[in-house]
Amino acid sequence: MAALLFIASSTVVAQQSDFQIQQDFRAEYSELTDRVNSAATSEELAEIEADIDALEADYSEYSNIINAAIYPDTFSERIANLRDRYASSETSLAAIDQLNEQISELQDELDEYRSRLASMDEEIADLNEQIDRASDNERRQAALIRQYRQNIEQRDAFVSDMLENLMMRYQDLDSATRDEIADASERMSDDPIELLRTIIAEYTNFADRDSGLEAPDYVRMRAQHGYFYEVWDRIGERLSETFAPDNPVETRQEINDMLSAWQASIDNKLWNALTTAFNQNGIELAPFTDASTFYDALYQYVESNYEASLESNRDEDYERFRTFRNYWNETVKAQWGELLISGEILSTSEIAEIDLMLSDWGDASQPTSNLMFILFLVSLAVIIGLIVLLVTKK
Amino acid sequence: MAKRTITTLSMCVALLLGVAACGPSLVIQDVDFSQPLESVLSPDSNNEVHDQRYAIKFNISGILEKEGSSSVDEIRLIRNRGGFYFVTASGFNNVYVFETDDSELNLKRKIEISSDGLGQPAFNQRDGHIELVDRATGNTYNLDETGRR
Repeated sequence: MAALLFIASSTVVAQQSDFQIQQDFRAEYSELTDRVNSAATSEELAEIEADIDALEADYSEYSNIINAAIYPDTFSERIANLRDRYASSETSLAAIDQLNEQISELQDELDEYRSRLASMDEEIADLNEQIDRASDNERRQAALIRQYRQNIEQRDAFVSDMLENLMMRYQDLDSATRDEIADASERMSDDPIELLRTIIAEYTNFADRDSGLEAPDYVRMRAQHGYFYEVWDRIGERLSETFAPDNPVETRQEINDMLSAWQASIDNKLWNALTTAFNQNGIELAPFTDASTFYDALYQYVESNYEASLESNRDEDYERFRTFRNYWNETVKAQWGELLISGEILSTSEIAEIDLMLSDWGDASQPTSNLMFILFLVSLAVIIGLIVLLVTKK
Repeated sequence: MAKRTITTLSMCVALLLGVAACGPSLVIQDVDFSQPLESVLSPDSNNEVHDQRYAIKFNISGILEKEGSSSVDEIRLIRNRGGFYFVTASGFNNVYVFETDDSELNLKRKIEISSDGLGQPAFNQRDGHIELVDRATGNTYNLDETGRR
């Protein structure tokens, strides 16, 4: 009877191994820890939170066994540690979510930029074709060129705004954020550097086209190039490290090379266009092929004419002075001045030196008046007349 | 004469008591040797098991010989409050109870559990006894150093 009771009692009671309980706890704890560490979304974390609660509820009655097994740790410390990890993951995920949002916004922004630029480029290309086709209608061609110029100016303004935006965003980027964006940027189908590549390539194409553009247009292009270069100089390193973390140095060099190619394309047109513009206004400058020789040509023109005026002081010298002064002041300085400086064609001090020499030329070329001499002769004649009158009266 | 003998004996007893009192004798009572959890140990190629946590290392060849077995994957070991070690393994018919001596484990008792051999045995430390669970059959046995309770 006793044996039967023993057997009955031993089969009815749910049998468990304390060793197995603590093993199961360790396994579930370890699995939950891995899940917390690798959770990639807020939804995953929410599920884990419920599982942590369940783990605590399921094993709290065995806490003594578990405490003995994991000494010097304790069951409550392990659960607290898991919750701490959970909280930390939650914070990290919130940061990742925020970063994902930023990346998504950046991606949308880039798409928007690209789309608007593509549409502008299309309009400009279309205008360019129309200009070519309208070669027999001068008036229509002039109107198209005017429109073409306006479109390029709009595009310049748009690109400048975009560069300003990029500069504000990346100029003071701290290294931690930069690294986070760099990790996230691998998921992006487009990035700011790729956009800059497209923009520079398109600018180079504009400069290479023969579209009836004139000196002011190329001066503006140089200015745009100058601004672009300045922005790249400020944020290029950070952008490269953020969006080309595997090869930042090569990426920077590639963009630098593209900027140089763009400048070369502008310069191919710019110096000839400037020569033509000065010629059309009666100013024959010595040949120039870059910013330095352009300044030399201007300075030499003013200096040589100043010296000539010192020697001959003829009306035609003064006329030449007036022609140069008007074009210099009213067109070159007034309309192109800022662009010349930002495009690094002329510096402020170079303009000031030309102004100074121009002032000397103005003084030297001023025709001398004969009025004084005539007055002297008249006065002399009057005095002689009076003397003769006095002598004859006596 | 008798008085002298009594005096001499009394002095001898007093001397013995004095000597005994000067020796290194100290007994600590109510020591709890119990392991809260059993140890599950895998024998090496020499049939040696080593419990790092509770610091005991011994050879199980003698136990295997008694069970008529040549090897086991793992043995289960637990120590009760009195300091007796209980050892068994899957396939064993018995639980072996050992008491410790100077570098020795002396078999105190062999408790027969099943003639068919235990399926998935596990020891649990319980108040006043060791619980042996066979998870394969669901059977539970309460043991102490004297045998089944």
